[in-house]
Amino acid sequence: MAEGERSPRQLLTIGVVGGLIGIYLANYLNSTTGTAWFSFFAGLGAVLAVFWGADAVRRVASYGLGTGVPSIGLLSLGAGQVAVLLGLAVAMNYSIHWAAPIIALILAAIIGLVSGVMARRVIKMNIAIMERSMMEIAMAASLIMLGFSTTIAGGFGFDLIMKYVVASGFIIAVFIVGGMAMLHPFNACLGPDERQKRTLNLALSTGFIAMLVAGIAAGAINGIQAAVPTMIIAIFGWIIYYLRFFADTKQDAAAVLSTGLLPKEEEVA
Amino acid sequence: MVELGALTLVGAAALIAGVAEDLESDVGSQSNPNSQVQLAPQMGYLHRLYNKAISGEPASYPFYAAIGASTALAVLSITGNSSLIGVFFALVAGAFVTSLIHGVYATTSYMGRLASQSRFGQPIYMDVLRTHTPVLMAHGFVANFSVLLLTWVIIAQHFSPFPFVVLAFIWGIALGGVGSAVGDVHLGTDRYYQDRPYGSGVNAAHSGSVVRKAESGLRNSIDCAWFCSKFGGPLTGLGFGLVVYLHFWKEVVVTGWWSVLAGVIIVVIFIIMNTYLERYSRQRYGTYKAEAEE
Amino acid sequence: MFSLLYWVWIILGGILIGAGVHFIPVGGAPAAMSQATGVGTGTTMLAAASGLTGLIGAGSAYAATGGDFGYTIVMGGISAALMISILAFIANVMYVYGAGVPLASAKVKYDPISKWRQDLYVSRGTEGHGTPMSSFISGIIGAFLAGVGGALVYFALAASYAGIPGFGATFAGYPAPYYVSLAAAFAIGIFFLNCVMASYNIGGTIEGFHDPKFRRLPKSILASLVVSAVGGLFALLIVVMLPGGI
Repeated sequence: MAEGERSPRQLLTIGVVGGLIGIYLANYLNSTTGTAWFSFFAGLGAVLAVFWGADAVRRVASYGLGTGVPSIGLLSLGAGQVAVLLGLAVAMNYSIHWAAPIIALILAAIIGLVSGVMARRVIKMNIAIMERSMMEIAMAASLIMLGFSTTIAGGFGFDLIMKYVVASGFIIAVFIVGGMAMLHPFNACLGPDERQKRTLNLALSTGFIAMLVAGIAAGAINGIQAAVPTMIIAIFGWIIYYLRFFADTKQDAAAVLSTGLLPKEEEVA
Repeated sequence: MVELGALTLVGAAALIAGVAEDLESDVGSQSNPNSQVQLAPQMGYLHRLYNKAISGEPASYPFYAAIGASTALAVLSITGNSSLIGVFFALVAGAFVTSLIHGVYATTSYMGRLASQSRFGQPIYMDVLRTHTPVLMAHGFVANFSVLLLTWVIIAQHFSPFPFVVLAFIWGIALGGVGSAVGDVHLGTDRYYQDRPYGSGVNAAHSGSVVRKAESGLRNSIDCAWFCSKFGGPLTGLGFGLVVYLHFWKEVVVTGWWSVLAGVIIVVIFIIMNTYLERYSRQRYGTYKAEAEE
Repeated sequence: MFSLLYWVWIILGGILIGAGVHFIPVGGAPAAMSQATGVGTGTTMLAAASGLTGLIGAGSAYAATGGDFGYTIVMGGISAALMISILAFIANVMYVYGAGVPLASAKVKYDPISKWRQDLYVSRGTEGHGTPMSSFISGIIGAFLAGVGGALVYFALAASYAGIPGFGATFAGYPAPYYVSLAAAFAIGIFFLNCVMASYNIGGTIEGFHDPKFRRLPKSILASLVVSAVGGLFALLIVVMLPGGI
């Protein structure tokens, strides 16, 4: 870990606490007021989970997975999706509605840990942090899926998510858009001079794009109330972090030229 | 007979989707040939090619299709899906929003990948970013609109029970798979190594030494799309068109266990055609080295 | 309803998906430069492209027959095999007429099926190019297995969820019933779980059943078994948790 980087523990805290707070705020503010104006909080929580997940992807994929960065994201999203819906169903069965996101998180950790153990011990991938990383990525994936699903449905009851997110098919949009938000930052910044700050600024920018898509989908379900605040916040967030990413790029790149021929050999030190 | 007409429309849309998809990936040098563009600066070959690594095509196309399908559903929730023109505009809106997000992702991967190679001295050219991004957004728009259209026709004709977004997602994966398996070969083997002898694979020792000079000036990635539009693009379109058309042909024209039989027959026909193709290539092109050499 | 048999189907489906990935000839990125035998895409995504096309076939078959087991899984398999036979053939047309190379493999001296000589047709500095006979047949077998696996998972999930009260309903203007949507989404998720595990096992490129890497298959079967047992159990527990439906 280089100087000035965020530690894995710090990011884990941001992701889990931020993600859960966002999801709870959206659900309870919406149900208390009987509107859908507060759906955007869940989107913000999911963006924080993207922030965490992107760093976990970055840590494990820098070892070289042998088959591209996206694979681990797709695996985790597949795991997270099952964990989220089972978590919601468990909470519904035992009438502990408030515990649903936490149960989903624990189930995602179990399935991620099992995948990680299989990858490291059975398939014998030589990556020391495989178990931990797969667990973290699956947990982040479950928070991303739950967060954006809550944005779309307006709450995290099993019946709401089932009707508004699964039956309409938006679950697959959440799956791939949330997944790309998490795995694209490291994939896009792959290279020997990759830097955590730049990658994570990009992660926030892609996270806000995913939030924008969730906002659009929320418009199909809850109309203007859910869509407009979510989309406005997502666009502003995206602009801020895209500009920060651009500034980081200018700082890190060998040169940013408006146009020109290729540099001569001697100019390349 | 209505079903066969709808099926033809589906096949035609798939064909256009395939052509546009491959040309889009050539402008961005996405997917497999991206490894060469990525490697070039490390080998000392600086370039003015685009480097669009939104993961591989089979992962990025379902991403676009899912965004487009969600947006189209959001628009339809306002306008209702009773009128055909309303559906059409919803699909256009979906493809439009997708192409905006596609453009944003493309710029981030160009800047991100090149900034992460700063130790090799590869500069970021803003004019490459400005000229190439709209081109690939436009090609992406055509490809995504076609995917959404064919998915919509499939749903409207009850060819498949899956939800709109899920079906668009799966066709996106299939489209990306065909695009990267077929079209990329033309770009990777031929266009990037045009200074090497034709009719052989790229020697692994030459990896990364992509052609950087054009007929006049420096090579850019739009030139590559022009070149690949002569063979790689159309062939990709044919491939994806056949995949979609034959998939539903075997279910629409015959039903029940007969469609399984039809599927088996088509597979056998392709095996026979492949055998002839392989034999033709061996007889026509001959061996690379004489038997005694080994 | 929850049935142990459905859990077995999901586990078996997962194993078939993982095994199918090993049969599919994947050249990865080098294949696009005609440097490696096989189809030029990553392992995960090529298996997904064919297997999920099979899932579309299985979904239509399940809906058309009201859940006929044999027909659903055979349609899943044959749709996937059809997809990959077209894909590999068109890619071979590209290699022969676009790149001007014969189809050859560097891993074997004689093709195990066509018995044709391979090593003389491999150009200098490459590991072969295109998808020759054995790899082609192997790919069709692999896609069939992956398609059958995906269809088994879909069948088990759809049949389980169809029994939940209220899951036959549809929501507003969206024509898909609840159980179809949920089963399709989970089938895609479990498909990715297994095919990513299998592609980690392969680690890059594989030419088909004659490739030395094919001997790693048992490890992948164990991994698929455990992963799809956990994933399938989670997916089926939803049925137990919803005795009264929604």
